Amino acid sequence: MEPNNFSLIQLQNWMQGMLIESEVNDDPGVQQQVNNIVNSSKRLSAVRHLDIYRQSYIARLRACMQNQFGALAYSLGKDLFELFADQYLEANPSNSYSLNTLGEKFPAFLEATRPDAQQREIWPDFMIELAGFEYALSAIFDEQAVENDNKPTNDTPDGGLKLAPVFYLFHHRFPICNYYLEFCQNKKPELPLEQESFCVVTRSNYKLGLFPIRGAQYYFLESMKKGKSVAEAADELIGKFNFNRNEFGAIWPEWRRSFIASGFFCR
Amino acid sequence: MVNKQTYAEAVKNLPNPGLGLGLRSKHFNHILEHNPAVDWFEVISENFMDSGGRPRHVLRQLADRYPVVMHGVSLSIGSTDPLNIEYLSKLRTLAEEVNPLWISDHLCWTGVNSLNTHDLLPVVLNDESLKHICNRINQIQDFLQRPVVFENPSTYLTFKQSTINEWDFLRYMTEETGCGLLLDVNNVYVSGFNNDFDPVHYIHQLPHDRIVQMHIAGHQHCGNYIIDTHDRKVVQDVWKLFNSAWQLTGGVATLLEWDSQIPEFEEYHAELLKAKKYMNTLSTFKDEETAPLYNEAVVSNPVDFLVSDIMG
Repeated sequence: MEPNNFSLIQLQNWMQGMLIESEVNDDPGVQQQVNNIVNSSKRLSAVRHLDIYRQSYIARLRACMQNQFGALAYSLGKDLFELFADQYLEANPSNSYSLNTLGEKFPAFLEATRPDAQQREIWPDFMIELAGFEYALSAIFDEQAVENDNKPTNDTPDGGLKLAPVFYLFHHRFPICNYYLEFCQNKKPELPLEQESFCVVTRSNYKLGLFPIRGAQYYFLESMKKGKSVAEAADELIGKFNFNRNEFGAIWPEWRRSFIASGFFCR
Repeated sequence: MVNKQTYAEAVKNLPNPGLGLGLRSKHFNHILEHNPAVDWFEVISENFMDSGGRPRHVLRQLADRYPVVMHGVSLSIGSTDPLNIEYLSKLRTLAEEVNPLWISDHLCWTGVNSLNTHDLLPVVLNDESLKHICNRINQIQDFLQRPVVFENPSTYLTFKQSTINEWDFLRYMTEETGCGLLLDVNNVYVSGFNNDFDPVHYIHQLPHDRIVQMHIAGHQHCGNYIIDTHDRKVVQDVWKLFNSAWQLTGGVATLLEWDSQIPEFEEYHAELLKAKKYMNTLSTFKDEETAPLYNEAVVSNPVDFLVSDIMG
């Protein structure tokens, strides 16, 4: 582009391209282009002026990714996380006015670009699961929902129990929820071994609650999530795993107390 | 289309609510629990317009207690993309809920071809862009049924194709559309240093009767340039400019921005209250002078519009 012969549209396309394309380098032709379009100042060349925007663009979005995927960034380490984040941002530049959705496609991007394509390894699976969980948490945190503060009591009959309006179940190959909670508590968790895990995420009074649960509890609550009553969910669980009904009857009061205390149920 | 005079009159009748603070999620609990004596709060529209969770819940409570101004970062008034009607609709819905004193955004563009760089990019200042921007302001003001207030952004470059000084560009915007101005004193200082203009002259040339609000903030000096980081206290040179602007405007709503390394609420509020001593014509500027800290590895932080702090 020559000076003084470009339209507003051309100028904005040119500048945006200079910001988001990492390929732009120290090519003399590019530098001449910048000199044709941008003023130099007493202290800085035209290229240096543009560089301030170029550097800020990727640094700002990288920082947003780090905020949204804090546990993943910790787990991967700074350099590796930035490498993945930069590649993701180049392939998926933001097209929303909201930064809350910036990382929406990051778990799928990690899956599609996993570094062990030739010989599968375990650790990328953990990272992908963790990324998916972290993005899900941010979506649940801000989702539109009418929360129900009508908590059940010990006297509420089983038939009066229903799941809280914001209630999500997760089933992972790795102990994702425990890892995430330890990260939040600044316990610096180690990369975990593969171990099936289950958890519940609730939102009560606009705050998230994360609860690791057992497999049987997951399947019981999954039935309720599909609209079944407590009695129906119990029947399904007993049938599915061939449990002894008396044994379930013995453990149910403990589950019930725990679920009510954790805010899983409302009336 | 509403007559621009109607919007101009509406701008003149906007109140001066006093000294305000930017609402930051870090301070949600403190504000709700202590009801601090802050005159008003400015909220980043994009942090709340899509929220169905705690941010929106907190804002609803806050708007019942304090005057609120909605400050946006994604209107992208200078972009050659079509106006984003979905965005404008959500902005209008939020305004109906919050009832802000006014709605503001920046003289900038954020992206084209449906991409968003999430930066406040500089506008080429010439007749073509002025006409383009004024046309968009007219459409937006009619859509929102209220005047919009535009802020001068921090800039890190100027274009060879620019033919109009920024202060004149802003004046023409107000004359052609009836919009108001948000004078960010720190941005004037930052842009003046980066682009070789005199910030005092800039402030003197503005149409002072169109300024309804001022911003003050801290920045980071990097030696050959300054980055608008909003991460520290206001420097003395900016307080001096604020003093001049206060005299020239006769005093308007003033807000302290702090978007990175955000301190505890009391410290943030105390920095805001310093503005009181710089409103006087006899203000002195000998105290609290500090040598600039040079740091190359900083990022401009136009506003706090990062992703939600979900476990906060």
